[in-house]
Amino acid sequence: MKLNIRELILFWAAFAVMFYLPSSSRADTTFGRHQHEAQGVVSAQEKRTVATFEQRVKDYVKLRNRIKAKVPKLSKDSTPEQIAAFEKASVEALRVARAGAKPGDLFTPDMAQLIRTTLKSEFKPTEKKEIRKVVLEAEAARAPLRVNYPYPDSSEFTETPAKVLLRLPQLPKEVKYRYVGRNLFLVDTDNNLIIDYMLDALP
Amino acid sequence: MRLMRRSSSVLTTAALILFAFLNPTLCQTAASRNAQGSRVSQPARPGLPLSLPLKDGSVRFAVIGDTGTGSSKQQQIADVMIRYRERFPFDTVLLLGDNLYGTETPADYRKKFSDVYQSLLDNKVKFYATLGNHDEPNERFYENFNMNGKEYYRFTKGNVAFYSLNSNYMDKKQLEWLESELAKDTSEWKICFFHHPPYSSGGKHGSDKPLREVIEPIFVKYGVNVVLNGHDHFYERIKPQKGIYYFVSGAGGKLREGNVKENSPLTDKYFDSDMSFMLVEIAKNQMYFQAVSRTGETVDTGVLANQKKQK
Repeated sequence: MKLNIRELILFWAAFAVMFYLPSSSRADTTFGRHQHEAQGVVSAQEKRTVATFEQRVKDYVKLRNRIKAKVPKLSKDSTPEQIAAFEKASVEALRVARAGAKPGDLFTPDMAQLIRTTLKSEFKPTEKKEIRKVVLEAEAARAPLRVNYPYPDSSEFTETPAKVLLRLPQLPKEVKYRYVGRNLFLVDTDNNLIIDYMLDALP
Repeated sequence: MRLMRRSSSVLTTAALILFAFLNPTLCQTAASRNAQGSRVSQPARPGLPLSLPLKDGSVRFAVIGDTGTGSSKQQQIADVMIRYRERFPFDTVLLLGDNLYGTETPADYRKKFSDVYQSLLDNKVKFYATLGNHDEPNERFYENFNMNGKEYYRFTKGNVAFYSLNSNYMDKKQLEWLESELAKDTSEWKICFFHHPPYSSGGKHGSDKPLREVIEPIFVKYGVNVVLNGHDHFYERIKPQKGIYYFVSGAGGKLREGNVKENSPLTDKYFDSDMSFMLVEIAKNQMYFQAVSRTGETVDTGVLANQKKQK
């Protein structure tokens, strides 16, 4: 029995859906895995949303690493003066390079909604209560909701609960998630620049 | 009620310290007799009592958390620590986070750290820091915090492996690193120190349960012996949890007076009426500890056996 081209394509597409896609979605990120478990399937749209987010994070890291290479480097034995000079120089250069950056550049509306949905559906009520306690007890309210500005160094750096981190897409070491009240920031590890933020991200 | 407890424990505690002087190996028995979760207070003595045995070849260090205020009280407790070093020559201090509160200008580094501990720095005492919720991540590059540019790291002294963890951001990468390091660690003692306490009886913060649920299984699986935390601004020795000894020592620069919950089932001993730090000595399979207040009072002391050796 001969199969025509259309039937062959359909066969391989079905094969891929049955075997390839579920395993690849598990391998992608913890975020994807939990989505898969919680909702039965990660839609193609959701995968694209996460991929876009991860690509934009990578693009940011490339940019900041190019800039970091041009400012005085920090050694493991730096003085406070060297640390201050590094932070000032790298923040200023990055802010100029990212002129025009706006909320939602990385946390696109789709990505923000996906994070909200995931975090709200992933935890038991008792877990939600404990996570909220950890996040909301921090006194970080003074941090401004302003992209491309440094997180104020007089503000507390809220603990980002491990259980939340394990549900979100993993970030490269240069970038971190940080809660400020109910909102979730993306900040640069080395200079605390607010790269982006999204509202209402508590489980 | 608290005053009654305090007065009733004064004589007992003074006797225990004297007892510990005469025979430090009996500290554990002595301490446990008074381990009713009661606040301990005793008169300061001019000679600064030491209940640590000063054994040959032992690993000695001090522990202090939540220091970085730059206040006169921070200096006062640092001075007690410096005086204690004359009797107990330690070469290492573990900083349990919140090393610098508020702004972190070069002047702040001096006022809130290097000026305060200058005498120890001059004497080549090494500070090993962990990051608290008030610490900028770039503190990891500061020469006197010995973090080697890393947010989490391991170092060893004798038969003891120390793990400084970043509890602000316990992500998958850090958990995998911790697990892989512990899996191959053959040290007799494994001590983890980080800012947020998995167990605490603090009314303000208390136990960080989301953190505990993630890291405690790793500690248990790989035989971590001792966990040291700050964040809550008092001293508390927790009853062993799943075989692990936990301490909160977060009163090196701030005090949250009276913040330990009364009758907490977690507490073995606590002290929340003044600031404090700890002195620790590890000799073979025993860990001796002494918690000291800002006025030089010993507020807790004892000896803990290595859990692996007990089995």
